[in-house]
Amino acid sequence: MVFFAKTFFWAAFVLLVASIQQAGARQLVDQAGRLCTVPDEPLRVVALAPSITEVIYDLGEQQRLVGATEYSNYPDEAKKLPRVGSYVRLDLERIVALRPDLCIAIKDGNPKQVVDRLEDLGIPVFVIHPQNLDQVVQVVEILGDLLGAKARGLELAASMRRRIDGVRQRVAARRHSPSVFFQIAESPLVAVGTRTFIHELISMAGGTNATAGAEPYPRYNWEEILLLDPEVVVITTMVGNPPADRLTAPWRQWPELRAVVKERLHIVSADLFNRPSPRLVDGLEALAPLLHPEFFPKEATP
Amino acid sequence: MRSRPVFDKFGLRLLGVILVLGLLLAGSLLLGLATGSSRASLADGWQALWGGGSSTMATIIWQIRLPRVLLAATVGATLALGGLVFQALLRNPLAEPYILGVSGGSAIGAISGMLLGFSSFPGVTLASFSGSMAVLAVVLLLTGSSRRLRASISKDGLLLGGVMMNAFCGAVIMFLISISRHTEMQQILFWLMGDFSLMTRERLPLLLLAVPCFLLIAIHARPMNLLLLGAEAAAGMGVAVSRTIVLLLVATTFMVSVVVSQAGLIGFVGLVVPHVFRVLLGPDHRLLVPASLLGGASYLIVCDLLARLLPAAGEMPVGILTALIGAPLFIFLLWRAKK
Repeated sequence: MVFFAKTFFWAAFVLLVASIQQAGARQLVDQAGRLCTVPDEPLRVVALAPSITEVIYDLGEQQRLVGATEYSNYPDEAKKLPRVGSYVRLDLERIVALRPDLCIAIKDGNPKQVVDRLEDLGIPVFVIHPQNLDQVVQVVEILGDLLGAKARGLELAASMRRRIDGVRQRVAARRHSPSVFFQIAESPLVAVGTRTFIHELISMAGGTNATAGAEPYPRYNWEEILLLDPEVVVITTMVGNPPADRLTAPWRQWPELRAVVKERLHIVSADLFNRPSPRLVDGLEALAPLLHPEFFPKEATP
Repeated sequence: MRSRPVFDKFGLRLLGVILVLGLLLAGSLLLGLATGSSRASLADGWQALWGGGSSTMATIIWQIRLPRVLLAATVGATLALGGLVFQALLRNPLAEPYILGVSGGSAIGAISGMLLGFSSFPGVTLASFSGSMAVLAVVLLLTGSSRRLRASISKDGLLLGGVMMNAFCGAVIMFLISISRHTEMQQILFWLMGDFSLMTRERLPLLLLAVPCFLLIAIHARPMNLLLLGAEAAAGMGVAVSRTIVLLLVATTFMVSVVVSQAGLIGFVGLVVPHVFRVLLGPDHRLLVPASLLGGASYLIVCDLLARLLPAAGEMPVGILTALIGAPLFIFLLWRAKK
């Protein structure tokens, strides 16, 4: 009996200590399905991917940010944040040196080993894992809640949903969904498969992804492209910002292509499409008028 | 046999080499611990090293820097020693620790592990180790009996077999890379370039597996000298040639596999460090073994330190620096030796 009483006493004591330690913190399940203990008021946050930095600025919570990864270039202010390596090659020492009370990581890209080591060193890591546009919107709500900006997060998410619905409604009356070749790299030619954000944006904007398929970023050669004969070609800008003529030149070599005949070769900013951030909605609004100019009279183009 | 004084000329040289390079290693270790990418000042690091400073600094030094500095030291020592042994065994100045196909085998193992979604430890580590052991098994099977092994070495068969093995593995690696997805490709490339950044304290004891091999090689320093004269001459002077060769081959491949499985492929150290010491100290392996061991360790610690300090998008892979510094250094030494 005495043994049980003692055990009970100790168990109660341990629980008490544990709950004291938890004061000012709460337990959440992140998008990777991990249980993590995060502070109620994170004051020193390191964003482990450029998209996360963008969301935090959109939420207006940048005063909590103490570090970001290379290429965190949006908004301009974010360029001044201390760097902790690139999102695929994080510099553990620099992260630790910033004494963060929370790191926000992204499952697709951040090496799992670094996330595990941060946890081992006692730094909480919340992992996001958006896989479609709807989940990107959810990330805004989740991070809003995480960073004490719940109302702002809900408001921002609602506005993103409104804008997405706006585009969808405009193109709803279409009779035809043009086939689109979305070029994300030129040499080799790389397009997008079905399980990508861009595929989803093309569908929402009222197009058909000509390169749909299981491979997320399939490579193409000109022979295959001549057979595909897409109606619209969308090319993302590349490093060094070459002029538009340079980017479309390889396509103009093939005057028989429908997209060349109809002058439907378009350039878009890569930054709006290659990050799972709220700017994907800007990307959607930029893409829809290219696929369906008939629904977007020039003066009303968003 | 005539009696010798306790410290003859050779003994003094050996002591000198160990003392100088030992001090160099101790210095590099301390420097590697005291500085790093967080741009905290050297003074802060130094203070934290002796128990002062903030708890963040202590975490950085003991949890992040210590494991990687010790890993760099072990990898450097192992690869330099491995290069020395293979250059002696194969009697080829271009030999390096990966020459028998160890690099290719471990890379195929590691990359397959990554593509199958294994965890980095122990999954990928074990896959890498199994890969290189499989290559060693194939090489030994191909050469067959120890008699044939001896013939094979004298006719460069072992060397050519290893080169072919690496070429074949290279093709498989390219294939695996071509079918990998973007996120996996990053992980694969960093592994191929060598990476110390993910070492943890818990994994450090694994490196001790290399130590018995160091000792084994050290006691074979004199037979290695004799093997340089050719197998027949060595046998005539009482060396059990076949046994010695197989023993050194297996021990070296084993220790190289251990470090490669932890750190990925670090190039060039194994090729250049033994040559640098040959230029500086002459051909005696009784000096070259301790020199390569200590010198290789210091060299890789310093390269890793520079990799951590140089600004780059993220951290520079250390494998870039080993050749970037080592090649000009060696060319300079050669040029000076010729003069």
